[in-house]
Amino acid sequence: MKQPQKPVRETDTKIRPTGWQILCIALFLFYMLLPILSTYVFSVATRWDRTILPEGYTLEFYIRAFQTSYFTITLRNSLILSVATIVVSLIVIVPTVYWVHTRLTGLKPWLDVLMILPFGIPTVVLALALVQVYNFPPIARSPILLIGAVVVYSMPFMYRPVSNALQAIDALTLTEAGQILGANVFQVLSKIIIPNILPGILSGSLLVFSTVFAEYTLTSLIVGASFKTFPLLLVEYTRINGNIAAAFSVVSFTIAWLFSILLLWAGSKGQNASAETIQAR
Amino acid sequence: MSYLELKNVSKFYSGVVAVQDFNLEIDKGSLVSFLGPSGCGKTTTLRMIAGFGRLDEGTILLDGEDITDVPPNRRDIGMVFQAYALFPNMTVQGNIGFGLLMKKTPKKEIKKKVDHVLELVRLQDTAKRFPHQLSGGQQQRIALARALAVQPRVLLLDEPLSALDAEVRVVLRGEIRRIQSELAITTVYVTHDQEEALSISDKVVVMNKGVIEQVGIPEEIYRAPKTHFVATFIGTANQFLGKVSGTNTVMCNHFHLLVDDLKGFNEGQRAVVLVRPETIQVQPDPPERKGWNIIPGEVETITFHGAVTRLGVNIYGQRVAADITVAHTKSISLNQKIWLLFSPDACQVMAVDEK
Repeated sequence: MKQPQKPVRETDTKIRPTGWQILCIALFLFYMLLPILSTYVFSVATRWDRTILPEGYTLEFYIRAFQTSYFTITLRNSLILSVATIVVSLIVIVPTVYWVHTRLTGLKPWLDVLMILPFGIPTVVLALALVQVYNFPPIARSPILLIGAVVVYSMPFMYRPVSNALQAIDALTLTEAGQILGANVFQVLSKIIIPNILPGILSGSLLVFSTVFAEYTLTSLIVGASFKTFPLLLVEYTRINGNIAAAFSVVSFTIAWLFSILLLWAGSKGQNASAETIQAR
Repeated sequence: MSYLELKNVSKFYSGVVAVQDFNLEIDKGSLVSFLGPSGCGKTTTLRMIAGFGRLDEGTILLDGEDITDVPPNRRDIGMVFQAYALFPNMTVQGNIGFGLLMKKTPKKEIKKKVDHVLELVRLQDTAKRFPHQLSGGQQQRIALARALAVQPRVLLLDEPLSALDAEVRVVLRGEIRRIQSELAITTVYVTHDQEEALSISDKVVVMNKGVIEQVGIPEEIYRAPKTHFVATFIGTANQFLGKVSGTNTVMCNHFHLLVDDLKGFNEGQRAVVLVRPETIQVQPDPPERKGWNIIPGEVETITFHGAVTRLGVNIYGQRVAADITVAHTKSISLNQKIWLLFSPDACQVMAVDEK
């Protein structure tokens, strides 16, 4: 997040990390970055099973990956799925959480518990149950059913940051201050509440995007080949050619990162003030 | 001429009384304070005037119009909250202009009005800043400016100073009073701070347990409290419990007190006599003053309060507070035997709350 007002450090003395701190951070970075780095290297390696470093480097797998017939369609489907999920989540979650925070505070513990449920139900069970219940056209095995399922599945990721952001501002008093100045409910939401919880909305959207963009189980069981997404293609290629699958992974990472940067940029551009707000708190 | 009128207003929270049968008329251009301990219903009443929280009974009239069921955003009322409630995402300018924007005021006019109210609260150079860049006192001034910018029919202030430092509080309450009289805006001010209420109000409404105890100008509230609660809540008052005897005497356990007026009391009725510390004189020698109350005692504590020194005097086992001037302090020492002296008209007699 862009931080327009960095607090000036008053002393020049730098805090030196201790050996233990360096070791802990190094181990953490190693653990987090090694798989990603290996994937990157593997996607450009000619052969990498007899030596520590690859024997040669090539871009062949990327060319083959881009030439795959399903490449653009699956990418498009994944984007549609992710963006639609974010939109539906926002429409469902933001007003609900706002109402619970301001008018129905007694329901908040219930909502908190409810939002853990998606973690408790195995994805396979959720998918099969949905397929059985919604087995009538036009919903049966349609992308719409998939979006509905993915919204439920990713709901906690949107709920938590939005709820925390609302907690951080005094939503009820701000609402009343807006009302007494003549604003109706929609004006209060759009001009006061949403701008002030925008950082929460953005981080929620990012979490939902990365979760949904990489979603496999629900997609595979609910729509399967009729609405093929990028992870489906990727998994398919792990069985055909590991290097091409690695190239797909790199593409997937890159898109997720680009999307994150785009979202953060849009957020900070539209709401410099809101970043300042959160900082001030 | 009453401008804002509350008629038989009641509010219950799940059966428990928050405000009961509240009747009040507020004149146009006056500043009325609701004063009382926390939970007395003062904020609930204010919020009902603002339109937050429905009335369970009664009506509210503003300038002759029944606004009981009008939503808050259409009442044309300004409000300042205890926690400032400035919009963190907007600059000072944006905050103050918000109400005007909601009224679809042209941009040029908004700018003019924002500048005007900023001048009124003396914070012209903060227009481009964000709330978190201002001090608490400045934020509350901006909140006041924001409420005033829309030229509301009534201004409501909900404990606007209780989050601020003592020093800022005193300055700001003077400012609030100055601006209020300058604009002659009808104002309701909620506070639990008696000094605040007494110093800035045209009228004070003392509340307790959801009902009005007394309505009056500040001097009246202080000098002539009508109920036991008002007498003890406002200022400090010594209390002497006794029984009414004759037309001007209350018999206490070890002494009797001469009082001015016992109209409405029956012979033998239990009553409490209230005497303010500043009305009591302290003498080192037995005084002779006919018709005054003279009680011997022993000095137990001496507390310096600045302008006055407060003595804690033990009379027959009861601790009584008496204020003496600094010049007087030299002749008084701890454990000294002294005489308290006060006139009958310093005594306020109240019926004992038989609860």
